[in-house]
Amino acid sequence: MKRPRLHLREAPLPGGQPLAFAIGLTIALFVGTLLLLGAGHDPVRIYSRMFEASLGSPDAWAVTLNRAVPLGLAGLAVAVAGSMGLWNIGAEGQIMAGAIAASWVARIGGDWPGLVLIVAMLLAALGGGGLLAVGPAIARARLGVNEIITTLMLNEVAIRLAQWLIHGPWKDPGAHNFPLAPMLPDQARLPTLFSRAHCGLLIAVAVIVISSLAVRYTAWGYELRIAGSSEATARYSGISLSRKILTVLVISGGIAGLAGGVELTGTADRLTESISNGFGFAGIIVAALALMRPSGVAVVALLFGAVQIGGQSIQTLGVSSSVSTILQAFVLFGAIGAGVFSRYRILLDGEARAVPEEVNQ
Amino acid sequence: MTQTPSPTDESQLAVQLSEVWKTFPGVVANAGVELNVRPRTIHALLGENGAGKSTLMNILAGVYRPDRGELKLHGRAHQFRNPADALSAGIGMVHQEFRLIPSFSVAENVVLGSAPSVIKTRQIEARVAAMADKFGLRVDPAQPLWQLSMGERQKVEILKVLWRDAQVLILDEPTTVLTPDEVHELGEILRRMADDGRCIIFISHKLHEVSGICDEATVLRLGKTVASSLDMATTDSTELARLMVGASPTTPDRPAAATPGVALLELKELSARGDRGIDAFSDVSFQINSGEIVGIAGVAGNGQRELADVIAGLRPSTRGSLIMNDADMTTASPRQRFLSGLCYIPEDRLGVGLAPRLSITDNAILRVYRQQRRGPFIVAEKALSYCKGIIERFGVRSGDVDGPIAALSGGNLQRLLVGRELDSQPSVVVAAQPTRGLDVQGVKAIQDLLLERRNAGAAVLMISEDLDELLTLTDRLLVMEGGNIRGEFDPRTASRQEVGLAMLADTTAISQP
Amino acid sequence: MNEASLIGLLVATVSFGALLYLAALGELLAEKAGVLNLGVEGMMAIGAVTAFIAGVELENPWAALVVAMISGAALASVHGFFTVALGAEQVVSGLSLTILGIGLAAYLGKDYVGLPPGAKLEPVQWGGLSDLPWVGPIFFNQAPLVYLALVMGVAVSLVLSNTRLGLALRAAGESASSTDSAGHSVLGLRLSAVAAGGALAGASGAYLTLSLTPQWAEGLTAGRGWIAVALVIFGAWRPGRVAWGALLFGGTLALKTRLQTFGVDFSPIILSMLPYLLTLAILLAISVRSRKRPSPSPTALGLAYRREER
Repeated sequence: MKRPRLHLREAPLPGGQPLAFAIGLTIALFVGTLLLLGAGHDPVRIYSRMFEASLGSPDAWAVTLNRAVPLGLAGLAVAVAGSMGLWNIGAEGQIMAGAIAASWVARIGGDWPGLVLIVAMLLAALGGGGLLAVGPAIARARLGVNEIITTLMLNEVAIRLAQWLIHGPWKDPGAHNFPLAPMLPDQARLPTLFSRAHCGLLIAVAVIVISSLAVRYTAWGYELRIAGSSEATARYSGISLSRKILTVLVISGGIAGLAGGVELTGTADRLTESISNGFGFAGIIVAALALMRPSGVAVVALLFGAVQIGGQSIQTLGVSSSVSTILQAFVLFGAIGAGVFSRYRILLDGEARAVPEEVNQ
Repeated sequence: MTQTPSPTDESQLAVQLSEVWKTFPGVVANAGVELNVRPRTIHALLGENGAGKSTLMNILAGVYRPDRGELKLHGRAHQFRNPADALSAGIGMVHQEFRLIPSFSVAENVVLGSAPSVIKTRQIEARVAAMADKFGLRVDPAQPLWQLSMGERQKVEILKVLWRDAQVLILDEPTTVLTPDEVHELGEILRRMADDGRCIIFISHKLHEVSGICDEATVLRLGKTVASSLDMATTDSTELARLMVGASPTTPDRPAAATPGVALLELKELSARGDRGIDAFSDVSFQINSGEIVGIAGVAGNGQRELADVIAGLRPSTRGSLIMNDADMTTASPRQRFLSGLCYIPEDRLGVGLAPRLSITDNAILRVYRQQRRGPFIVAEKALSYCKGIIERFGVRSGDVDGPIAALSGGNLQRLLVGRELDSQPSVVVAAQPTRGLDVQGVKAIQDLLLERRNAGAAVLMISEDLDELLTLTDRLLVMEGGNIRGEFDPRTASRQEVGLAMLADTTAISQP
Repeated sequence: MNEASLIGLLVATVSFGALLYLAALGELLAEKAGVLNLGVEGMMAIGAVTAFIAGVELENPWAALVVAMISGAALASVHGFFTVALGAEQVVSGLSLTILGIGLAAYLGKDYVGLPPGAKLEPVQWGGLSDLPWVGPIFFNQAPLVYLALVMGVAVSLVLSNTRLGLALRAAGESASSTDSAGHSVLGLRLSAVAAGGALAGASGAYLTLSLTPQWAEGLTAGRGWIAVALVIFGAWRPGRVAWGALLFGGTLALKTRLQTFGVDFSPIILSMLPYLLTLAILLAISVRSRKRPSPSPTALGLAYRREER
């Protein structure tokens, strides 16, 4: 009997990943068309509205870019860990931790000059996110505890920590007993570049560029990639694995924390429970679609941001926001599936491609 | 030399394989092999590594399909499409790599795959215990597998095959994981199974064990049967060794000997444990001088791999000391050893020596990237020109140097790896299986590189399973067996048979009952 | 604190415990076979919404439950297809599944938000037992899904430890190649475990809309899927221990809304961190202990299997 089997290619298909993303988008558009027709909408109108609202004007670009910033930073956080084969599932919580740390600085530095305050807040965000990753990093480096679960658990802890602060110690007395954190001081807002696009874009681009360069061109990044490709090779060449795991996970957490800081100073008025807004989870997907390459994260984050903003915009046309969520999911699954096929070829021959053990030990 | 005792009657043979051919890309593993096994016997299948034993047995067990050839069980022809077919025809194989699940109990491991739909633990355990008792396989069915020694795990593998009621048991190198006492015990267990009406095919290259345990032996060499169903009672081990290793081929050109100088690498009673926690080798002492290639001959799994890892610093030693260039390196890190002049060509090229998913350039600079830094950056031009230099000087045929290394062929991978390692002008070279799997040109190229290094005054340790290679290339030849150095030979005068005997026979165990 | 409110707390503990247990059992099944499914939240949402819709349309709670379980299994099979058949990253696929499930649930349920339920699973009466003080309301006046959770727990436990199927399933989660060479289909085992897990997550979601909060709203699952994922680790992949964990975590959920009633001056939010912190502690304890013995975590968890990759 002939059954289709997947056979690993020696090298991924060149251009496979952009193709995978394109296939994912196509599948999503197709499914989206069905969903829209099913709900009685005109798909052409909806899609053109999505495009207009996300990429059709400078204002639209501003909104999309503002969304791409946290997505890109979160994706970068995951990708940096991913270049060493580690999964940081905790970006969601680290974003929250970063936002909490930045809010804390804003509380004590309410009368500092703007530039000082913003820089201090962003540094605190970096530290806050990194701090939340320290536990999983040590557990993984010293005890070998799987980082997927530890970082995942800490997401929930960080989000509840923010809730607790907002409902308790940090509750704004002026908010008529609503559980709201106080507004940030005015000088703590990131200045805008054009339209509503804030300076976070520059920060994100800078961090992505620095990280890409670091991973791609520095000795540090080189060791990271060696360890990510083969731990045995890393040991063979004298690279300390546990120290690498520790630094990489903490840096990854720090970058995610920075996303929280930027989001707080850039688009939010105050610390809220929903400031991480699923960016951490979306970041995992952004990073996976970028094949864990920091340089690819920027492009994927922009496209993903456009899909999200476009999806939100059609709510005004009476289309449920769930359609955009579903579209996102189909982009993901389409791209995951297409990504698999770019790495494997399908064989239809019956017998396994056996290699004699005695020859190929 | 083929002396086939005429098979009395075909239907009396439990297993009859005739004219079996099996080719893999580039390799003829079986070229018209025949094997006749009588019921109620323990039949040894002997041969060096690469003689085609495992391929033949994988054909019998349904793992591979032969290109040509006939398989009869008790006179009836069979064709197996998969291992399940072979199992239902009563053929079970105990592979060298155990296929057991550590967190399961012994009984669960035994019944996996052919358990009743409802498992009553006590009842199953009792049945497994009864079966184990019958053949003297002492294991506790309720015990979790991870608590068992390697020898006990092997019993579980045997029980698995018995549980499926196999009438023909194939044991692939069963003694490599056993202590001498356990080998003796295994012999008794196998005898009981043979007396019970089964037949056992025992793959081995340890002659003394075979002669103590088996009734008959078939010897394979280079994919062909060179002796079929020899009676073990009347065949001595010198004869078997001669059959296995064959006569020496025409003496190839020996490279001119270099003049040995001072000792560069010295091992003093060095010992280390293997992955399974038992001693992989113990009290190994030798020294290698400048301008000398010392070979280590031996059948795979006798401690050579671990020895190379320990010298390279990838595995801790448990006793003894290691001196390199007059400095004690016993506890030095791999990097310290590299900096003081050691290079290591590991057995696993892709995975240890080279990082599979990275580019050719990235792999080429593994030893020198620290010198190519400007600030935190690795200077790309330096890396590229270094990589191109390696490619040019060592004849690596490669496409895009930024392409993944895994796209290179085996020979080119090894040229890159050896080139990279030798480029640092090391004073001590450890090469593990450096020519295995390469084509003729590749082998020659790698051998020439090692010789060149020797002539430049390095001390070279070459571990190989290819005895001919060692005999022609090395200046001194050590034989490793059972984790010990069993002898030193002068390759100019030593005969293949002499060395072969030392590789195969455990002189201390021969004297045991 | 009076007797009635204490009983109320315990009743809610058992209810929430059963809710978490159903989902956690499903996750346990998938993980035992070697597949990490981080899409529990999405599968619960799908179960919740389809149960509610089916309840409104069919007006039969049991039919609604079946619909929810089938929907959960179908959604889980998406994850199964991508991770088991295609070998995609389980983490990425599972998170995508959460997004897909939540999105689909919102899309399907948008016309049902705020509607009264068409069918409810009413508490089961056990005759005189239900009238017993304390024990009666806590154990013998619960929704049918509480008893279903109990039955499923026993069933999963028995199947895993006492059947050929369970042995093969566990083997697939420990070593795919050993399972394959023993003649079982790793693909089939894993796909069915993932689908069965989805069915249980769907049932858990149905419990929400058919009896606990008989209404549909977006975000109804409120992160309980993540607690289910944590529970599996907390219970060291054993159905029995997971049950106790479910009661403990269910207790924290029940207590969260009642702290003020009891006059306890403790933040309910801090309390709700407890399950995650406890799980982290257990995880650390397991890893310290596994230096001596194997970890209870399935060895092949998260690893794709393809035969030629020997």
